[in-house]
Amino acid sequence: MPPRFRMPSDEAVAEARALAERRLSAEEFNARVNAPLTEEERAEMLSLIDWFMRRYPTPAARLAQARQSYLAAERLRKAARGSD
Amino acid sequence: MESGGFDHVEFFRALEASGARVLLIGRQALIALGLPVNTKDYDLWIHVDDAAAVNQATAPLGLVANYTPELARTRGRYVLENSERVDVLVARSVSTVDGVMVFFDDVWSRRERVEIAPGVSVALPCLDDLIVTKRFGARGRDADDIQMLEVLRSRRT
Repeated sequence: MPPRFRMPSDEAVAEARALAERRLSAEEFNARVNAPLTEEERAEMLSLIDWFMRRYPTPAARLAQARQSYLAAERLRKAARGSD
Repeated sequence: MESGGFDHVEFFRALEASGARVLLIGRQALIALGLPVNTKDYDLWIHVDDAAAVNQATAPLGLVANYTPELARTRGRYVLENSERVDVLVARSVSTVDGVMVFFDDVWSRRERVEIAPGVSVALPCLDDLIVTKRFGARGRDADDIQMLEVLRSRRT
């Protein structure tokens, strides 16, 4: 049986969030933007974009799907918190 | 009405009906254009004179501004929130991480409209401008988003 998923602690979430929200310096930011993509990475991005636009062909459908995904993730998060 | 009590179509309908000059930026704009990314927040860039109109239009949806329009204008940003969070830039211009000033009026003049639901639309920066707005926050994920936007741009040309 696979191990049961455990929600990370509030502290770990806060730490990850702070890292993700950190404003980079211009040098750091430009280095990341200008990091060359491999052909494989580029093809994968295009493939994802193509799939997303085929599956959800209008902006309305895409935004609605994103909203539904978020709400579903929230429900899962709350359920996992409730079962801790 | 969606579960969670917030209806995103009604939110955009209220913004459009207000007549305020509102640009949807951030990851919601990326999603509208076709990028499969995740976000829970809404990011708007509005004209400096339109905060009161935006607040008035969204109040019936339960969204409350954390600053008065005057104070928000001084600070350059504010938040509308209830169970949702809407980050609002309210500035004539915003600097990128490189110090390049980007003016709302310029971005607004090049905006594109996308339909959110029948009869409801929202304005987005054009693709080139959306890439520039990603240089405001300059977080790691903004850099990743720029790479995806550039792939999308190359596909269009």
